[in-house]
Amino acid sequence: MHSPMRLSQPCPKRRSDEVLRTVALMGTFVTIHVVGHVVGHEGDPGPAERSEKAVDRAFEWFCRVEECCTRFEAQSEVMQLTTRVGAPVRVSAILYEAVQFALAVAEESDGAFDPTVGYAMEERGFNREYRTGKTIRTALDFSGSVNYRDVRLDADRKTITLLRPLILDLGAVAKGLAVDLAARELRPCKNFAINAGGDLFLGGCNPDGQPWSIGIRHPRSDDELIDSVRISNRAVCTSGDYERRSSKHDGHHILDPRTGSSANAVASVTVIAPTAMLADALATAAFSLGPAEGMQLFDRLGVDGLIISPELEQYATRGMRDYH
Amino acid sequence: MDKSTLLLLAIILAVFGGSVAAGHPAWGTLTGIAIILLAAGLAVGTLPLQSQDYFEERIGPSKRTSNSLVTLSSAAIVAIYAAGYHRTSSAAHKFDSQTPQQRTSATIAIVTRPAATSPAIEATPSGLRSETPAIKKNAKRPSAPARKAVPTKSSDSASPSAPSTSPAPNPPANGAAQPATAAQARYKDGVYLGWGSCRHGDIEASVVIQDGKIASVAISQCLTRYSCSWIAPKTPGGGFPDLPGQVVERQSPKVDYVSGATESSYAFADAVIAALSKATE
Repeated sequence: MHSPMRLSQPCPKRRSDEVLRTVALMGTFVTIHVVGHVVGHEGDPGPAERSEKAVDRAFEWFCRVEECCTRFEAQSEVMQLTTRVGAPVRVSAILYEAVQFALAVAEESDGAFDPTVGYAMEERGFNREYRTGKTIRTALDFSGSVNYRDVRLDADRKTITLLRPLILDLGAVAKGLAVDLAARELRPCKNFAINAGGDLFLGGCNPDGQPWSIGIRHPRSDDELIDSVRISNRAVCTSGDYERRSSKHDGHHILDPRTGSSANAVASVTVIAPTAMLADALATAAFSLGPAEGMQLFDRLGVDGLIISPELEQYATRGMRDYH
Repeated sequence: MDKSTLLLLAIILAVFGGSVAAGHPAWGTLTGIAIILLAAGLAVGTLPLQSQDYFEERIGPSKRTSNSLVTLSSAAIVAIYAAGYHRTSSAAHKFDSQTPQQRTSATIAIVTRPAATSPAIEATPSGLRSETPAIKKNAKRPSAPARKAVPTKSSDSASPSAPSTSPAPNPPANGAAQPATAAQARYKDGVYLGWGSCRHGDIEASVVIQDGKIASVAISQCLTRYSCSWIAPKTPGGGFPDLPGQVVERQSPKVDYVSGATESSYAFADAVIAALSKATE
């Protein structure tokens, strides 16, 4: 029926041995698609079972990351930080690395990306848990504005200290991180796709033996693609002003941390990067920065991106051509 | 790669040099020490080697040189993965018990075009539009409820009303699990309603089950801040296009997945899940 995939074979021909599963997680639908089965040792369970198990473990990473990083659950690790302002709190590896990375992106983008917008997001009505529909309301002794400099890390003790009352919003980082961890888990499978609501990581080839073909949604038309790219072993993330409109205000889900209102300079940003965490964070940062500065950021970091203005002008890095 | 090979070579040379210096009478014990050192060298050498490989694979050989954020993100993943791998091993168990029906990947969904905003439950045969979405090309949000429909398909694969024109991806080694799920999750006939919500409102889906299969799925009520047209843009004829169908159209065979899809469809998908859960009770 199928022959075990040899690791040396870069892009196997079309096969029937695929695993495809979708689960509602992290406020979106997560689809994992594995093409071709993992090679195992003698006496191991069958190849299909190994693939299924790998997919199980990949989904488990989403659960773990969501548990730690969700802003919509008062008991989550990240929300527990808010209850202990001023004190160093020892945290899990997932939360520590997520926050460390978010702060690094904040530094690099000069505050255009800032994980401390959590309270402002909640205030603006982005406060509902997607599965239960329950809303969260955090009582914060909130005094004035906060930014990423109000969060301190201790790399040796793996602690996080909030210097002022604030809520960390790891939305842009956590989903990407989960995708990356799932991708790491699926590495033995070689050919796979992970789609977490438009945050994608593509490993190897699609079932046709080609690099995965990824459409980029048109920011003003739900049915259209504005571009499509060929991706292998990389992540693609698109942030659009059309997603997650606020229930309270006429604004979308990406706040400019520097002004506290929805960023309006661009309609959508797509980033292609080695990790989904980086791609998602940079797409969010570019939203606040606007096309010119966003492009500079991409060039500086060596990632590729496509920025579309509200007038539908397209700005692309030079490297985007390589993906067509 | 080069670094660790060099490191290993250095260790071997050091051991060899040491043994020579100590003289032949001690050869036996030194061989033992050498082996231990070699093992230690391998252990030390392979760990960074693994993470480096991983990193290189993702960056790609032709890409520009690394930078701090790229390195940091890769390092974070390696760190978490190394710390938490053992935890995920129990996941297989958990998912086994939770979602037996999701283990099959062949999927079929038959969807009607909802007539209007009023409850579109009385789906006339002419309104029936059968879809056989090639889900592997099409694994978007609405495919989740469609996946719930899997058992009906597998239990009813001979049914003429479910022509599988597209080559449905069938996991070959699931033979043992399939008959069990098929017997277990046949839906009860009837019309089921379920609510789904997203951050901009609520949607009620109605699911019609006929002969144990999903006959139609429709939006029956839409209480969103934005009009339903935002959730499901109206077609020129005035009706709503069905969401799964929309995804099928959008994802032409050319494209495997779409980056930057909207949230709009998953309130609908949630609603379908809720409705289907009633059908299996």
